[in-house]
Amino acid sequence: MSLVSLVKIKNCRIKHAIEESLSLINYEFPYRAQRIVIKPNLCYYWDYTTGQTTDPRFIAELIELIQEKTEGDVRISIVESDASAMICKYAFKMLSYEKLVKKYGVRLINLSSEEAVRANITVEGRTFQFMIPKIIKEADVKINVPKIKYTVRGIELTCALKNIYGCNPDPKKFKYHRVLNEVIVALNKLMRFNLCIVDGNIVSGAHPRKLGLVMASQDPVALDAAAAEIAGLNPKKIKYLQLAEKEGLGKTLYIPRGEPIEYFTARYPRKDFKKKLMDKAYTILVLTRLDKKLGV
Amino acid sequence: MKILKLGIIGLGYAGQIHLMNAKRLGNASLVAVADISKKALSRAKRYRVRKTFTDYKQMLKDPEIDAVIIALPTHLHLKSAIDAAEAKKHMMIEKPIARNVEEAKEIIEAARRNNVKLMVGYPLRFNQQFQDLKRRIYDGTLGDIEIAIANYISTGPFFHRTETHAPTPVPEWWFQKDLTGGGALIDLGSHLINLLRWYFGEITNIKSYLGYRFNMDFEDKAICLAKFESETTAIVNVGWFSQKYQLKIELLGTMDHVIARHEPANPLTTIVQILLTGISQFHQGHIVELQHFVNCLLRDSQPTPTGEDGLRDLEAIERAYKNQIPLE
Repeated sequence: MSLVSLVKIKNCRIKHAIEESLSLINYEFPYRAQRIVIKPNLCYYWDYTTGQTTDPRFIAELIELIQEKTEGDVRISIVESDASAMICKYAFKMLSYEKLVKKYGVRLINLSSEEAVRANITVEGRTFQFMIPKIIKEADVKINVPKIKYTVRGIELTCALKNIYGCNPDPKKFKYHRVLNEVIVALNKLMRFNLCIVDGNIVSGAHPRKLGLVMASQDPVALDAAAAEIAGLNPKKIKYLQLAEKEGLGKTLYIPRGEPIEYFTARYPRKDFKKKLMDKAYTILVLTRLDKKLGV
Repeated sequence: MKILKLGIIGLGYAGQIHLMNAKRLGNASLVAVADISKKALSRAKRYRVRKTFTDYKQMLKDPEIDAVIIALPTHLHLKSAIDAAEAKKHMMIEKPIARNVEEAKEIIEAARRNNVKLMVGYPLRFNQQFQDLKRRIYDGTLGDIEIAIANYISTGPFFHRTETHAPTPVPEWWFQKDLTGGGALIDLGSHLINLLRWYFGEITNIKSYLGYRFNMDFEDKAICLAKFESETTAIVNVGWFSQKYQLKIELLGTMDHVIARHEPANPLTTIVQILLTGISQFHQGHIVELQHFVNCLLRDSQPTPTGEDGLRDLEAIERAYKNQIPLE
């Protein structure tokens, strides 16, 4: 079973919490790492206060920690890709990621404009073909910094595994929505990240809330299982999580370290009946295309 | 009964609202729409719009059309308005009338030269709540309004709320100040300044503080302090920074205080409103506005807000951009 650490951010000391979370899972950055890739979760132009996107201040603290723990000439790249509704260069600017370039000398990489190699992968007997960015393929250390949030029906949860969906350089990501579970697993099989650190400082549930959580694991499946538990979801009912375990990406059973998970489970802003009803109403509107007809 | 024949140029967010509203009017007929997006045109065909054009200039040649609604991005207002005026079409242009004062003057001159009527689309002027404020100011029940506080806070062009709406692409022109003329102040502030000028007369002085939370070269926050002919002092707060929508006018008078709000209902209430009345309460102002435009043209009278109103609003906004109060 994999280790998953759960740490409370105390007195706004994010770096300290990250360090503790890594220590609890016995992880150390390779001292001689040359190329490190960090994948935050950027979504649309929503800023960190929505709980939907990784806080650039969290990434800043992580960069400081990496720079302290590795040799001086490590090259850190923050990667994201264009999406159906997000142009990466604007997201980096609007969400304050450009400031990290000046302060820490890191690079911001739009994976949609990077060199990539073609790769085939089979999940559940189905073969997919993707372009894999060379920068990810060639990195010594790949760090996934996701958020915990609810997402579309059929997927339910966004955390570590789903965040790698954003490493697909194809901007027209909506075309994969019918086979999203399989595609999430396929991309994770093609791009295996060494470490996942959840920015759970502000989370997005039924509404944004300061949860003050840092969670880390080297196993994305274990981490997502813990995230599901915090969000009040049953990991056994999340299809891509079960599929990921079946495909050997990790284990849903894990050993928790640090704070009791109940502390965060009790504070996560879960959807109440009214919220679920509104979501259902809106889903019906979208599915029946009534939203467009009615101008809602 | 005379029926006014309408055309719409541009089927973006505002254009689609006009399309749906135009189909509901008894004394107008939407005969044509123009947009470069074939997808938008095929959607219009589903609303039984007879003629669709990918080039608006072709649409303007249609003698059947009496008037057009220009709902294009702001940088395209000048060219399309001049083309419409020269084609002898009356027009309603979405706010702001143009990117700057010079362009606004050219549009007004083109309309005058070609003897066509020009209206600027400011739907808040046609909302019941804001019309009630105008009536109360006129009636004198509020006394002299010493202070007005106007807030318009939203996500702006990045308008998809996190809670229910799936994100849809933001057109790239919104990211370019030279195409929009500015940020939150020209976009949202033009609504409030127009409304406050309607209440209190011309602006005699205006200063601003601008904020840049999203690090772009256009402001996403503006606070303006304005003095009006009526001696009323107004604080105008606008922002593109919030997931929570707020449009609120507060008037503090010598005899009474009053607050008017205009906010969207939740999806379920909105559906009920649409099913019962055919339109959501939130979008009520748009249809009343369009009805006013059509009625005025059929009566051969000048619809308001006029092109000059739009120009005065831009003059105030340009002064606000110029008279910035440094706080750092």
